[in-house]
Amino acid sequence: MAKIVFHKDKITDVEAFVRLCPFGALKVEASGEISADAGCKMCKICVKKGLGGAALVEEEPVEIVDKSKWNGIAVYVDHEDGNIHPVTFELIGKARELASKIGHEVYCVFMGSGITNSADELLHYGADKVFVYDDEKLKNYISETYTAVFEDFINKVKPSVILVGATTVGRELAPRVAARFKTGLTADCTILDINGETDLIQIRPAFGGNIMAQIVTPNNRPQLATVRYKVMNSPERSDEIHGEKIICKIDGRKLETATEVLEISPKEKVKTIESADVIVALGRGVKSKDDIKIFEKLANLLDGEIACTRPLIEAGWLDAKHQIGLSGRTVRPRLIIACGISGAVQFTAGMNNSEYIFAINKDEKAPIFKTAHYGITGDIYEIVPALIKRIEEGR
Amino acid sequence: MAKFDKKNYLDIEKIIRDGERVLYKENINEEYSHDELGNAHSAPDIVVKALTTEEVSSIARYAYENEIPLTVRGSGTGLVGACVPVCGGIVLDVSQMNKILELDEENLTITVEPGVLLMELAQFVTEHDLFYPPDPGEKTATIGGNISTNAGGMRAVKYGVTRDYVRHLEVVLPDGRIVNFGGKIVKNSSGYALKDLMVGSEGTLGIITKATLKLLPLPKKTVSLLIPFKNISKAIGTVPKIIKAKCIPTAVEFMQKEVIEDAESYLGSKFPDSTSDAYLLLKFDGNSKEEIENYYDDTAKICLENGAIDIFISDTDERDETIWKARGAFLEAIKNSTTDMDEVDVVVPRSSVNEMVEFSHALQKQVGARIKCFGHAGDGNLHIYVLKDDLGEREWVEKLNSAMNEMYKKAKELNGEVSGEHGIGFAKKAYLARSLDSANIELMRGIKKVFDPKNILNPNKLF
Amino acid sequence: MKIAVCIKQVPDTNKVEVDPVTGVLKRNGVDSKMNPYDLYALETALRLKEQYGGEVRVITMGPPQAEAVIYEAFSMGVDDGYLITDRAFAGADVLATSRAISQGLKKSGEFDIIICGKQSTDGDTAQVGPEISEYLSLSSVTNVTEIISADAKSITVKRTLPLAVETVKLAFPCLISVEKDIYIPRLPSYLKKQATKDRKITLFTLGDFDDTDPMHYGLNGSPTQVQRIFPPEVNDKREMWQGESGEIVSKFAGKLKELKFI
Repeated sequence: MAKIVFHKDKITDVEAFVRLCPFGALKVEASGEISADAGCKMCKICVKKGLGGAALVEEEPVEIVDKSKWNGIAVYVDHEDGNIHPVTFELIGKARELASKIGHEVYCVFMGSGITNSADELLHYGADKVFVYDDEKLKNYISETYTAVFEDFINKVKPSVILVGATTVGRELAPRVAARFKTGLTADCTILDINGETDLIQIRPAFGGNIMAQIVTPNNRPQLATVRYKVMNSPERSDEIHGEKIICKIDGRKLETATEVLEISPKEKVKTIESADVIVALGRGVKSKDDIKIFEKLANLLDGEIACTRPLIEAGWLDAKHQIGLSGRTVRPRLIIACGISGAVQFTAGMNNSEYIFAINKDEKAPIFKTAHYGITGDIYEIVPALIKRIEEGR
Repeated sequence: MAKFDKKNYLDIEKIIRDGERVLYKENINEEYSHDELGNAHSAPDIVVKALTTEEVSSIARYAYENEIPLTVRGSGTGLVGACVPVCGGIVLDVSQMNKILELDEENLTITVEPGVLLMELAQFVTEHDLFYPPDPGEKTATIGGNISTNAGGMRAVKYGVTRDYVRHLEVVLPDGRIVNFGGKIVKNSSGYALKDLMVGSEGTLGIITKATLKLLPLPKKTVSLLIPFKNISKAIGTVPKIIKAKCIPTAVEFMQKEVIEDAESYLGSKFPDSTSDAYLLLKFDGNSKEEIENYYDDTAKICLENGAIDIFISDTDERDETIWKARGAFLEAIKNSTTDMDEVDVVVPRSSVNEMVEFSHALQKQVGARIKCFGHAGDGNLHIYVLKDDLGEREWVEKLNSAMNEMYKKAKELNGEVSGEHGIGFAKKAYLARSLDSANIELMRGIKKVFDPKNILNPNKLF
Repeated sequence: MKIAVCIKQVPDTNKVEVDPVTGVLKRNGVDSKMNPYDLYALETALRLKEQYGGEVRVITMGPPQAEAVIYEAFSMGVDDGYLITDRAFAGADVLATSRAISQGLKKSGEFDIIICGKQSTDGDTAQVGPEISEYLSLSSVTNVTEIISADAKSITVKRTLPLAVETVKLAFPCLISVEKDIYIPRLPSYLKKQATKDRKITLFTLGDFDDTDPMHYGLNGSPTQVQRIFPPEVNDKREMWQGESGEIVSKFAGKLKELKFI
């Protein structure tokens, strides 16, 4: 790999050179030598900006894995009791695309108890091989036992790439597997590609989405990446079955654990507008308390919550927990649909960081349209019921 | 006064020449009949949304000639009905006069139209590393409204109030004349301070159409201290000692457990400490965390010597959020905990804050209504709320009046004033009359007469 | 109960920018703070200590000035602090970071439970906790939303799964990562700060570890490489849809489908 070596004799202004480091990692030693401390992120700005070879990268030889021995793009099947999480299908679609670029196959690894039949479903989405580990001891997800199965799968199949859904399970399991194989893992990738060396090109946001980073794992296999739900496109389900199901067994001793799952209960839908991914927000354009039902239906179809502006709270139609705005709550959902809201700052200041803002208002001059990404001039009583109908028909 | 009729409407439309900015009859939104607290209710005959000084001047002249009441309105976030047209007539909405006209970085001033919102101003100057210190809680209020009430806010302890930051005003007089008061100058010894008279005049003397405000360099960091005490009197008793010490906090607030609990349930999130009945909340500003740390050390010692249980430090955005979000929600949270309420905004000398708070607590039993309070311990300005809960209408009015009377009487006894920052408007007229000497009121009436001989500008307010 | 909490010093703001020409991070002040998610881990640890007795230590890896977050932890009630700092750890990715921290944890003495925050605000990966548990061969759960109970040998917690809530009992030693808002974190105390300002922090360098192979740490021990960083595309376009409502509704539904909301 590499390290940075500093050449004191080539530096004229030591103070200025030390200030080049954005992480404050450069220090002047008592001997006058310059060194980097643990704050160094190897961003190499000192190499690029320290003129005249003041800092140079010295490459050190590294062991490189024989990449030709690692083949196939594998997808971890996220599920609960055999109900496959839809992120899995999205990842199969992506895996198919990557695999066809390098002539590899697409694998699924499916572990659980009583899941063998459910595995057939995966064959409708384009997996070439589905490796099934069906064992009573795998009834509940436990990180140690699932890591043990993953280890068995990797040793047996040697996939080049493993894609895991960034669900609560995936985000725990993938790092354990990566650490067991001392290999790289990139979290929450938004774009994936692959080059001729079978190196996975991974792009992910960092610093809360303020920067994007392109990351590769060039010297290790397998390469792991997690991807959030609804980032990749789901392939169409084909009626025909493609590929095969391979039943695998694992030594029961490897599935011993001291962790005990005591209870599994359905997730209570947390009804706070701050935690909602989707919000249907109502304003003065809503004519009566009864009409709120119409918009609630839209919110339900989109798996979202109802929120509103201050006048509706004051009218007593909804309780204060639903109010967005300066005197209410600040929300940052992925989607917000503002229905009949004029868009006073009092309201927009509480929601203008939402990812996608749709607004429906009769008045084309309503200030909400300055905040909305998609502004719809129209009557909410016409647009919303028609939209509901359209969504229901599409299901 | 003359009756407003269709002809007046047509005349006004002719002046403005934009049908969308003149609202008449059924086109007038209901919100123009009240302000934030909604205790005064009265609809205007017409609403005009002005865009320029010239329009304001023409409307004023028309109102003057035809003796039509004229009431100016910004965002309508007031609490005493000052923007409510209690005599009907014209409401002049200046919220669309909202341009920032000039930032003068050499003289450290900013010139704005009256409809610029406090939050917009704050954001704009912050982007230029500058600072407009007055910081009333209601960030969607307009600057025009802030000037008209001489708004105070939390930073008053260290930085003073709105009046201290107004350098120049362009004002339209009731007869339509456009005049200038003050200028970009630091000193001024040239006759009566008409500019200072305009500040806090609640739209009764003239209409502000432009304002030049003083700015300061922006302090880069703030640190807040949340200080728990065994009881409110220990907490408030410490405040004069804090103020006496060298280091002045920008804010000194007091809060009590039950109001914090209201805010918790209103916001659906927890406050970072729940061990004590009473807290002081101090804020310090400066250029670095270290500078502020050295600065507040003495204050910390004073608090501990005076019975503080501990001192909690909030030095990041996340920590500030958990405290200040709760503080910012007090008014809404109290409002949300009851059916209706009215407020008292008295200001008393700092040394008497404790007595006033204890008095209001004791008053609950005496009048038989819930009373909650919080406020600016550092400048003696208290916000006390009388809550209706499930009282019947008649009972409520009775109890409210007796609570109000008692509280204003007590404030006067303590050498306080009726309003610290919300103003008198319509709702507190009676209390101002009772609180001030008749000579004071006479002078005020005289001043009003000089500015507005026909009494058309925001009539029936203040006195 | 012997509790160790992993903490990290992060930039005070994550409003960082990338120079679009050179592709490097723009220097943006040097203020830093404790990773906000770690405050929840600390609060959980301190409450466990208050309820069941024991001691809480914190461990962090970073440059020497990262000791500031350890002193901050002291002022919240933590008993002991360890700082892993060595140039050999520079440029570490998740794998190399987890390896160094797990070595440091081993050196810091026995523990019953390690508590981590959900993720950091600069890296955002949420991977270091699970990787530490693998290096130390511990049972682990992430996304813990509630502590149900604990005894001398185990802890029972609630955690969220994609579609369910699970109650899990973990035998000590184990590792948990807690969700934001599990408890509201306490504020640092001035009194505690005064009382702990001279407390010694233990420093670990590579030589202190069991595994001293420099190829396992820092950039050498990092399988992932950042090839470039660049600013994200911002969604600042504004579209207005007008016209016949049937058409608008089709467009609306189409857009929601494209964005995967339906």
